[in-house]
Amino acid sequence: MSPVLEVRHVSKFFGGLAANSDVSFQVEKGTVTGLIGPNGAGKTTLFNCITGYYPPSRGEVIFKGQRMNGLTPDKVCMLGMARTWQKVRPLAKLTVLDNVMVGALARTGSLRVAREVAREQLQVVKMEHKAGSLAGGLPIGERKKLEVARVLATGPELLLLDEVMGGLNPAESEEIIGLILDIRKHGLTQMVIEHDMKAIMRISDRIVVLSSGEKLAEGLPQDIVANPAVIAAYLGEAVA
Amino acid sequence: MNLFLQALLSGILVGGVYALIGIGLTIIFGVMRIINFAHGDLVMMGMYLAYFLFTLAGIDPFLSVVIVYPVMWLFGAFLQKAVINRVLDALPQNQILLTIGIGLILSNTAMLVFTSDYRILTTSYSSSSFNLGGVSVSEPLLLSFLVTAAATAVLYWFLMRTDMGQAIRATAQDRDAAQLMGINVRWMSVVATGIGAGLAAVAGALLAPTYYIFPQVGQPFTLKAFVVVVLGGMGSVMGATLGGIIIGATESLGAVYISSGLKDMAVYVLFMLILLFKPAGLFGKSRV
Amino acid sequence: MSPSPRKEGGPRGTLLVPLLAIGAVGTALAFLPSFVSSPYALHLMVLFFLSVVMGSAWNLLGGYGGQYSVGHAAYFGVGAYTVLILLQYRQLAPWWGLLPALALSVLLALVIGSITFRLRGPYFVLASIAMAEIVRLAALNWKDLTNGAEGILVSDIPPLVLGGKVVTNFTSKVPFYYAGLALAVAVVLVALWVERSKLGYYLQAIREDQDAANSLGIPLTLYKNVALVLSALFTAWAGALFALYVGFIDPATAIGLDISVQIVLVAIIGGIGTILGPVVGAAVLVALSEALRSNLVTDLLVKGGVVSESSRFGVFLRENLAHAHMLIYGLLVALVILFMPEGVLGALRSFARRRKRAVAAETSP
Repeated sequence: MSPVLEVRHVSKFFGGLAANSDVSFQVEKGTVTGLIGPNGAGKTTLFNCITGYYPPSRGEVIFKGQRMNGLTPDKVCMLGMARTWQKVRPLAKLTVLDNVMVGALARTGSLRVAREVAREQLQVVKMEHKAGSLAGGLPIGERKKLEVARVLATGPELLLLDEVMGGLNPAESEEIIGLILDIRKHGLTQMVIEHDMKAIMRISDRIVVLSSGEKLAEGLPQDIVANPAVIAAYLGEAVA
Repeated sequence: MNLFLQALLSGILVGGVYALIGIGLTIIFGVMRIINFAHGDLVMMGMYLAYFLFTLAGIDPFLSVVIVYPVMWLFGAFLQKAVINRVLDALPQNQILLTIGIGLILSNTAMLVFTSDYRILTTSYSSSSFNLGGVSVSEPLLLSFLVTAAATAVLYWFLMRTDMGQAIRATAQDRDAAQLMGINVRWMSVVATGIGAGLAAVAGALLAPTYYIFPQVGQPFTLKAFVVVVLGGMGSVMGATLGGIIIGATESLGAVYISSGLKDMAVYVLFMLILLFKPAGLFGKSRV
Repeated sequence: MSPSPRKEGGPRGTLLVPLLAIGAVGTALAFLPSFVSSPYALHLMVLFFLSVVMGSAWNLLGGYGGQYSVGHAAYFGVGAYTVLILLQYRQLAPWWGLLPALALSVLLALVIGSITFRLRGPYFVLASIAMAEIVRLAALNWKDLTNGAEGILVSDIPPLVLGGKVVTNFTSKVPFYYAGLALAVAVVLVALWVERSKLGYYLQAIREDQDAANSLGIPLTLYKNVALVLSALFTAWAGALFALYVGFIDPATAIGLDISVQIVLVAIIGGIGTILGPVVGAAVLVALSEALRSNLVTDLLVKGGVVSESSRFGVFLRENLAHAHMLIYGLLVALVILFMPEGVLGALRSFARRRKRAVAAETSP
């Protein structure tokens, strides 16, 4: 079975700086792939390249067998790849329900249908009761959940989550982990950037490790955690 | 060929003054990230100040600079503290709307107080010129260029060599970092606006002997200042200096070789081209 | 500012109330000329309707889409000039001339949009001003077409004949009243439709966060251009109507920065991104303009004893306040941005929300 996502020798340069350098890996359908690495490893840059926020300087991104290089983010989303943002981006002056509706409108022109889909997704993240609240006034945990609901409403096949647990307390993180595993059960493929190693271990089928823009390692969680190069990369960061 | 050199030279001389206006605008933008649409009206105020100092007190406009600068520095500082400071965290669109409003207030108050009558400041040397190798050089233009050069030199010295100048540059580069290093960024905003206003007004005073003075004279200067700053790069003093001279020369050559009526349009078209193709300008960082 | 109704019931249910309201008000206003014959009152209403149209049109792009154009005078001017040029030089009746006017405005919008939409925030504002200035300078210099600074004077509007009967000769203000009313109702209905449609949702998403919107499948340029085209169309229509009503235009009055500023003002005073905002803004602005022009303000100050009639200041006010439009507009822009950035409606809404919270706090255990 061909992989849902193929990243082939992707590099991204900003001026002279190589934020990503010759990164290659594959993501199989229905799995959760963890993307980890010390700060500045180039994880979000990779997400940005994959989703069309900017094109990779070199290499290819293949999604469902189709080359994605140069496609704009809206087209990427319509093809079935959606992402959340490291720094949450709620549509502040709209209500929670409207936020998710905006996502749902990717698949329908009818506000009525969009509203139904939005309500469903809000139930999934357990935020139905906040449907009428303004998104801008939510605490961080709910903003994160809102962003997930919103992006789920676009009907993706591949979901890219960028530090969706960042800034959350343990109870909230637990909710998100449950959500990710739930989404996995429904057959969606996910790729998750996270710093919380325990969480990554629990949710990931495979892990890709980036360091200084390069792919350092890739494999099963138990192998990655025992990999001396990976440990060195993280320890190096802890010392610095 | 002579005509070309003539136009080029007077363009460069005027361009120096444009540079001064642009530098003021770029400093304000650099420190506060606010696009001051009232900048041209500050130039207008300088023109009127010079006019009245001349007609009421007989002070030569080039000397009046010494009075105009501090007075308008205070006015700029006042504007910042009283009004502009309140919108530092507002939407950029709202910020520019505010400065548009301030510009309207300034120019229309001038119209109320001074009437729309065109005023002319004629000094004894207003129309004198001298011959420089076959090219006629207007004396007031040359004088204003010299004053501009001096002012720019002082400004560079201030920005590079003094503590406050460096503090301003730090704030422009990274406001948060500057604050963490103990710089009073609020005060920097006030100072920067003061300097910006002062320079604009000085430019006005320098232009007073050669331009008609009327309340609405500010608007074309505002747009011209923006072209200068966008060309040179938002936030770059060096860029504004170069940009001013380039715009001055372009305008002058345009008036001679295209037409006087269309030269304004040429400047706007140039502005749009820069915004679209090289928004970072010559020296600036891309932030469009 | 969110269009999502808090009450349950399908979209048609909640659309009914505003539709009925507009219908009621529209009908009431349609009967007004039967009771009020004062040309002055009709004149004020025509100005009011025109302002509602221009403010609402701007609102589509600026309020909902978040793209603040301070160059809408370009479309106003194109509408005005096209209709008058065709009328004066080709004897084409204005209701036919309107079609090329609208078409041209759409074309201009697409051109300006394609150039300026790459820019964001304040740079977009600057670019919109520059483009409008280019249009104005073109009108000023293309003397063969536009008569340059001298402007175009309407000599005669042909009578409107329907089914063999003369409906109006355009000698009174009444036909302009009805044209203005119809256009204002139309634009408000369009705004209502936009707000409760996918277009409205997408525009607001773009306004709130362009990149987030993009990542949710929203093609930015397409939607911005749709908003701009709608906006330009109605602005040009208002320009055409204005030109016919006043009977004279020149580049300064039809394409000047002053017009662009006034348009923005109408929208932001009332409250951007709302249906009623531009209506409130139009009412405030027209009332204020007339109060100034008619020396009402000066009279009030004198009667209130604040200013003595014969003092120098009093004389000064009486002579000059009437012409101080742009000064007052500038002050208004500044005051609104500083103290009421959400406009009158927004301020009322925050006030209501705060009171609700206070009441809830009081009554909760």
